[in-house]
Amino acid sequence: MSRNYPTRPETGVLLDVEDLATGFKTGRGLVRAVDGVSLKLDRGKALGIVGESGSGKTILSRSIMGLLPRRGVVRAGEVRFEGARIDQLTIKQMRQYWGKEMAMIFQDPMTSLNPLMKIGAQITEPLKTHLGMGRETASDTAEKLLVDVGIPEAHRRLNQYPHELSGGMRQRVMIAIAMACGPTMLFADEPTTALDVTVQAQILDLLEEQRRDRNMSLILVTHDLGVVAGHTDEIVVMYAGKIVEKAPTGVLFSQMRHPYTEALLASIPKIEQPSHTRLHAIAGRPPDLVNPPTGCRFAPRCQYAQDRCRQQEPPLTAGDHPEHAYACWFPVVTGGFDRPAATDATTDSNVAVTIGGLR
Amino acid sequence: MTLITDTTSMTPTPLDVPPAAEPLPKRSRSKIHVGFWIALAWVAALLLMAIFADQLSFIRLPTAAVKNHGRSTAGYKLGPGWNAWFGVDSTGRDVFSKVIYGARTTLKVGLWSTVIGLLVGTFMGLIAGYFKGTYDRVISIVVDIMLAVPPLVLAIIIVYRVGDLQQDRPGNPGILKWFTRTEQITVVLSLLAIAPLARIVRALTMSLAQRDFVLAARSVGAKNFRIITREILPNLIPAMMSVAFTGLALLISAEAALAFLGFSVETGTPTWGKMINASYRDMDKAWWATLFPSLVLFLTVLAFNVIGDRIARHYDIREAAL
Amino acid sequence: MRYAAQKTAQFLIVFVIVTFGVLVAMRLGVNDPARRMLGGTATQANIDAVTAKYHLNSDYFTQYFYWVKNMLTLDLGRSEIFSTDVRTLLRQKVPTTLLLTIYAVVLALLIALPVAVLSAYRRDGLFDKSAGFFSFAFVSIPGVVLGILLLLVFSIHFHWFPANSNKIYPWDNPLQSAKNFFLPTLTLALPISAIFTRLLRGDMIMTLQSDFITLARAKGVSPQRVLWRHALRSSVFSLLTSVGLQLSGLLGGAVLVESLFGLNGLGQMLLESLLRGDLLVIQTATAILVVGVVFTNLAIDLLYAVVDPRIRLARALG
Repeated sequence: MSRNYPTRPETGVLLDVEDLATGFKTGRGLVRAVDGVSLKLDRGKALGIVGESGSGKTILSRSIMGLLPRRGVVRAGEVRFEGARIDQLTIKQMRQYWGKEMAMIFQDPMTSLNPLMKIGAQITEPLKTHLGMGRETASDTAEKLLVDVGIPEAHRRLNQYPHELSGGMRQRVMIAIAMACGPTMLFADEPTTALDVTVQAQILDLLEEQRRDRNMSLILVTHDLGVVAGHTDEIVVMYAGKIVEKAPTGVLFSQMRHPYTEALLASIPKIEQPSHTRLHAIAGRPPDLVNPPTGCRFAPRCQYAQDRCRQQEPPLTAGDHPEHAYACWFPVVTGGFDRPAATDATTDSNVAVTIGGLR
Repeated sequence: MTLITDTTSMTPTPLDVPPAAEPLPKRSRSKIHVGFWIALAWVAALLLMAIFADQLSFIRLPTAAVKNHGRSTAGYKLGPGWNAWFGVDSTGRDVFSKVIYGARTTLKVGLWSTVIGLLVGTFMGLIAGYFKGTYDRVISIVVDIMLAVPPLVLAIIIVYRVGDLQQDRPGNPGILKWFTRTEQITVVLSLLAIAPLARIVRALTMSLAQRDFVLAARSVGAKNFRIITREILPNLIPAMMSVAFTGLALLISAEAALAFLGFSVETGTPTWGKMINASYRDMDKAWWATLFPSLVLFLTVLAFNVIGDRIARHYDIREAAL
Repeated sequence: MRYAAQKTAQFLIVFVIVTFGVLVAMRLGVNDPARRMLGGTATQANIDAVTAKYHLNSDYFTQYFYWVKNMLTLDLGRSEIFSTDVRTLLRQKVPTTLLLTIYAVVLALLIALPVAVLSAYRRDGLFDKSAGFFSFAFVSIPGVVLGILLLLVFSIHFHWFPANSNKIYPWDNPLQSAKNFFLPTLTLALPISAIFTRLLRGDMIMTLQSDFITLARAKGVSPQRVLWRHALRSSVFSLLTSVGLQLSGLLGGAVLVESLFGLNGLGQMLLESLLRGDLLVIQTATAILVVGVVFTNLAIDLLYAVVDPRIRLARALG
């Protein structure tokens, strides 16, 4: 690799988010998509943010990066990156971070690559913008990046359009674009959801490999606990704009406390189950974020909910492990793969879910 | 283009269905706006004055010569004022009353041509969009042909030729005499409306025909006629209402353009376009005789457009091809 | 290839039906078309010669066949009412209308592109709201009224521009030509620029919400580049279609504007020959207009493929 990365410290806190809230002004009122989220991420580490759609996880990652539109969006709280506050910066100032310090890859590479622009032009764009490369150098670098992310015939690809590549290839191109300027932080928003199962693992491995090679931090946003299980150091579970549980990955899977986490886990198909086993969905839908319910936001859908849950909001409290925290008055006692009890999380058999994490 | 936005289904969100982008901020739908009421009031006032012009004391007959201190005002001798609000024209007639009587003709011609155009255009578009295949190919060619000839050129050729055929010159047939000039203009204008309307309806029908409720009706064995009249037509109505007003606005403009070029209704019946044509060469002497009919024409077209636009917004219709 | 063949067939059908239709419409009920064309003073020998040359006493199909044949050999004939041959006549009239139309489309695009892009970028801002107000007004203003208002203000009140724009070509006297063409161009351009603005703004707003725009921003690319390089290109398809659709209306508008501003172009020629029954000139003039409209739409169709590689692929396969 011909590029020189500026010397950076190897360890320490890279990203520090404190009490971040993000809301959208609508005709009905303020939609509190993210409501008081705090998290820390060390250099070179991977953090998974997990939740179902509408839990605020995508908004959270875009809000940290400052990519949300400015109009109609209310943001509060602090975001520190390499110790400096970035939540108050103008778009012009943020551009120094975007693509260079932090990069993002999206769910569907079909819609997130510009369909009318050649692959080469899309990769060289950040190189020219941030590193001031000329056309030739940028093009050579782009080719190396494509080789790096495992795309065969890289040179020929530069002159192709996104629709000429397969889904997996497109996602590799996205990763190449994100890696172009050697960012210290990568947000991957559902990077494998739109891909075939066989390709999913390859992409996750590629992300992991890139992260280790570059000592880059990764935030992996997904609805699928299975995706984060093997590829993150820490996991944050979000529900209705709030963190309901966070823990180092191993701890979470062995000692999960929050009923929502448990339900999320129950919705993943397991190899040992016979095929065509019904998967479990959580009955009901996420609450209205304009007027969230008082008490625990998960209470209306929680099978263990009691009166206290509907009246008082549970704070994030520490668990047995020092880095484990959860927000629940009546935490589940043991959890994880050993406990089959979670499978009766749904009583409503009308909630039929057929396609699982297997897509 | 979809007309009906799906109401959010009440089914539970299964966890394992991959989420699309999380909800984007939606703009609040604006309430019916003052502009709409002003436009409606303008159209209503114009319509009422045009209908009751003979009964209203402040409106002269368009043929009455206006006197100023007992003297003839022919040759623009009276500007806008208390005696004649919009002044007088070259023949000494009251511009205001001519504008009001002109509204009669203009609105009548515009409304009828819109109705005819809407009926024929909708019929063609429905057939092409619903049955597809050969019907669609034939109708599309007809529409292409109508769109290939500049509308104003098509209109003047037809109006001129019909007028020509009616004359009793040697070697001329002198036929079609029952076809009055007003009717000709109406029919020609409706011809102009057919092609664009048919295109819009065709596109709407094609997308509606794919919708679940149509497929469901078909699966239980509903006949085509029933599907068209019960399932598709009712869903076209909001869009067609909006298009009708926009089309009316366009046809009123086209009527004025035709009249300006000298192809208008019977001599003696005022229209706005005719009034403009008769006086615009004298704008340097008497601006009022041209400006007032022009402004009334503009405001009327604007009003119909505002109404059409508000209907479209109300039903959340994306701007159809203009 | 199938695509090209299909388009050519479509063009031929439209062309033949329109020109044949005009021929029928012009001859219908006219006993002696040659006498009409030549005027009252023509000698019988003259009339017979013209009748024979254009097969005016044959059936419609024969006459049409010879008309097409003459067109193909560029023998356009002679117009008695303009007392010149049609080719010279066209050479005099076509450039005026062509210039007027091109100016109008270019000016409309020059206004619409920046206004729409900026409106979409700062959606619901003050600029967007005022641009929306003006576009609505200009979409609604009838051509006659706009022309009258411009004449009244800029030529009669301020004397900045001539009221009678005798045509002067830019290659003869650029300044005077610009002055003469300015008001007619503006009359044609403002309404269509408003239509373009509304269409493009709507499409830009849709595009700006797509993921690839967020990705472009996340790369740290400048907002200008995001708008003009990424968003605009994906948003021009309705605009392109609209340019084609508007063209026919624009040529019709040219007839009006030429008459209003005394520009002596194709529209004036058409009106005059219509009123005096010169079916040959009318037929040729409509043919030119139709070819112009259909060819422009064809060109726009090809432009789609230039803008979007996916369309290129689909057509190559189809």
